[in-house]
Amino acid sequence: MSFDRRTRLDQMRDADRARDRRNRVIGIGLSAVVVAGLLGFGSYMLLERSEATESKPAAEQDGKGLDDKPSGPIAGEKTWDAAKLGRDHVTTDVKYPMEPPVGGNHNPAWLNCDGVVYEKAVPNVNAVHALEHGSVWVTYSGKASGSDVDALATRVRSTPYSLMSPYEGQAGAIMLTAWGKQVTVDGADDPRVARFFAKYVQGAQTPEPGAPCTGGVDG
Amino acid sequence: MSPARTRRTRWVAGSAVAVALLFAGAATVASARGGTETSGPPRTPSAGSADAGFARDMAVHHQQAVEMAFIVRDGTEDEDVRRLAYDIANTQAGQRGMLLGWLDLWELPKTAPEGQGPMAWMEGESGGAHSDPGGHSGHDMQGMAGMDHDGALMPGMATRTELGRLREATGAKAEVLFLQLMTDHHKGGVAMARACARQCTVPVEKRLARGMVEAQQSELDLMADMLAARGAAPRP
Repeated sequence: MSFDRRTRLDQMRDADRARDRRNRVIGIGLSAVVVAGLLGFGSYMLLERSEATESKPAAEQDGKGLDDKPSGPIAGEKTWDAAKLGRDHVTTDVKYPMEPPVGGNHNPAWLNCDGVVYEKAVPNVNAVHALEHGSVWVTYSGKASGSDVDALATRVRSTPYSLMSPYEGQAGAIMLTAWGKQVTVDGADDPRVARFFAKYVQGAQTPEPGAPCTGGVDG
Repeated sequence: MSPARTRRTRWVAGSAVAVALLFAGAATVASARGGTETSGPPRTPSAGSADAGFARDMAVHHQQAVEMAFIVRDGTEDEDVRRLAYDIANTQAGQRGMLLGWLDLWELPKTAPEGQGPMAWMEGESGGAHSDPGGHSGHDMQGMAGMDHDGALMPGMATRTELGRLREATGAKAEVLFLQLMTDHHKGGVAMARACARQCTVPVEKRLARGMVEAQQSELDLMADMLAARGAAPRP
């Protein structure tokens, strides 16, 4: 048999203590929830903002424009150290270590490169000067197909700061050259053609930005 | 529980809530500010935008005006024509540099997005198939896809054949031909600049475009007078 031997006063004190404990648990619990909620909310706002900042450039591309930015490497492209390519004007002939040349000393007169298609081979010393002015030079050997040559000619005629000429003795059938850059492509519809033009027509490789492609010589 | 302990508990809980409130508030303010333009990198136009299109196409258009100005300065001694040509060459070469510089800053190509002809960015111009802004139907953009443009890539631009004629001309003949070709060129240029003044979103570019419209229109009047003084008129 059990009975409460404590006095009434003791029982009241126990009840008070229990209520205190309960209030404290509720108080701490609620505070913790509020603090956690605010911390979470604040972190979310900050994170969301930094994400928005990061994704902005991509979001503003207009869908089809994955290669809007003329950045990123082009498969098979060769690069020469621009600092080691000569830039002097010389009136003598120049032996270039690559074919077609991608840079080096050159003739004082640049080859006109305002979307010009040359039917005959052009002098290297003038073409290199056109590269210095920011143009892309399309060259083809006898191995290139007639339809590829026609399609590339159409592109060049519509693209100021590009030029095109036959080039016997080059390794590839169709080669694209800019100052310090060169790639051999498989045909006129090789996607690297568009990439190379977008990246290097008056591109960041240009040693003399703003220089003209008119007022020079026609080969 | 002692009253002292209860007070301490309440004080700690209260402080935690206050600190958390401050943090959440600061984060909200920072986030809201990021939504406007006070922080973060500036907005960059896309390759298909009017801002980029105008910068690309007007750079090409201007280059030919610079070229024609140099040609006529070699072909005539007339002081008025040589001064106008000097003005056009310097102004348009300078503006061309601004346009290309913006494309460099925006890291965008100088060539149009693949498959797009020149001026495809212009609204209501059906992909650049232009309804003759220069009153010179030979130069509209029909057949832009082909290769019969003879170097006249945009409205108002002279063909290679016309540039060749200008190179061969001298004296009064060169002056009249230059004034006629440049009149067509300016009309095409004004139409394109108007489109940017309307569609571009970059304030400094809109301002430059508006300036081009005003300056080239005033030069059109000047050239009409100069043609009249030489017993000639703009081409129909």
